[in-house]
Amino acid sequence: MKVKDLEKLENEGVENLPSEERRRFLQFGLSVTGVFLGGSVLSLTSARNARGALGGMSPATKFPYSPHYTMVMRQNHCIDCERCKEACKNTNHVPAYGYRTTILEQQRPTGPDSTERIFMPVLCNHCNRPPCVRVCPTTATFKDKVTGIVMMDYKRCIGCKTCMAACPYNARYFKEENRAVDKCNFCYDTKLKESGGKITACSEACPANVRVFGDLTDSNSAAYRLIHAPEKVVWVLRPETGALPNVFYMND
Amino acid sequence: MKLKDKSPLSLLTVMVCGALLCCTAGQAVGEEYDEDIYGPEAPIIFVKPVKAVEFSHKVHTMEAGLDCDSCHDDLFEMEAGLAEQNDDFTMESLYAGQYCGACHDGDMAFASNKRCTACHIGVKGFERLHSDGGSTDSGH
Repeated sequence: MKVKDLEKLENEGVENLPSEERRRFLQFGLSVTGVFLGGSVLSLTSARNARGALGGMSPATKFPYSPHYTMVMRQNHCIDCERCKEACKNTNHVPAYGYRTTILEQQRPTGPDSTERIFMPVLCNHCNRPPCVRVCPTTATFKDKVTGIVMMDYKRCIGCKTCMAACPYNARYFKEENRAVDKCNFCYDTKLKESGGKITACSEACPANVRVFGDLTDSNSAAYRLIHAPEKVVWVLRPETGALPNVFYMND
Repeated sequence: MKLKDKSPLSLLTVMVCGALLCCTAGQAVGEEYDEDIYGPEAPIIFVKPVKAVEFSHKVHTMEAGLDCDSCHDDLFEMEAGLAEQNDDFTMESLYAGQYCGACHDGDMAFASNKRCTACHIGVKGFERLHSDGGSTDSGH
């Protein structure tokens, strides 16, 4: 229903609302308070201006970073050989107890007695609205103004681990050697620069071309083309958090 | 008193025996897997060039009705582990109709470049097999 039509509707009152609806409304009230306490200003406005709350965001017209790095996962090609993990560990000196990227496993039912194995590579999603950055008390983790990569300044990290709790993707671990939290930075200091901004260690190591690294502002890049292929379904993990992740998934 | 104490125990015994009977009965219903006809029952695990791929003789012989000489010794040597020593034991070869690709061509069976995880069990699957194997061994 369009917002204009919505405005013409008569108020139905709350007498006949199912309790689930009421609960959701109450939750909404709580979340508004939460946001307010967190420091954001949020005004309750007419339906016309509250379009975002009614469902979905307005489409992006411009990518906020340049180069705007992204990774597209061709998920159904992942076979959990874990060469990406090995490459990441070796390139970024990741200790055995932690990871910057890993593979998750899932059994999806495909029929009454059949299931399908799914491997899902995960890493930092380099969100446009990163919850980890927002909660960091010392600005040790920040969004790089040029590339949009969520980075760590180890010297500033006090090891409070609030960012680890805030991250919707479990993409951070505490690195004892640094006495600081460590995470994926798209190999910014280890591989990305030496490759001219073209590749990360994990995507280079992948034998099945699952991890397609690229720049969203470059319409010729493979990543851009995959995401914008009209007949393909592309999704992100945990979209409900509103973090606007930059790692996309598809079956290709 | 003693009787009262015993009754839950005896009930438990009956239940355990019943469960055991059910198990053995369940096994006897299906056709028995004969390794001489259908090949080794334990899955063949390939770890090269990537970890890991699972091949089940049961699925291909007993269930799909293939004979031993459908694959041996033209596509695969009878001896386990020989194929993966070859440099050309790759997905490219499969697409060209070698090894598994002889049947997995999208016509006879699903194509080699589709349904990756039907055969690829990954490092996780490999480790699970190993840890499972370990626990069963110690159980015996």
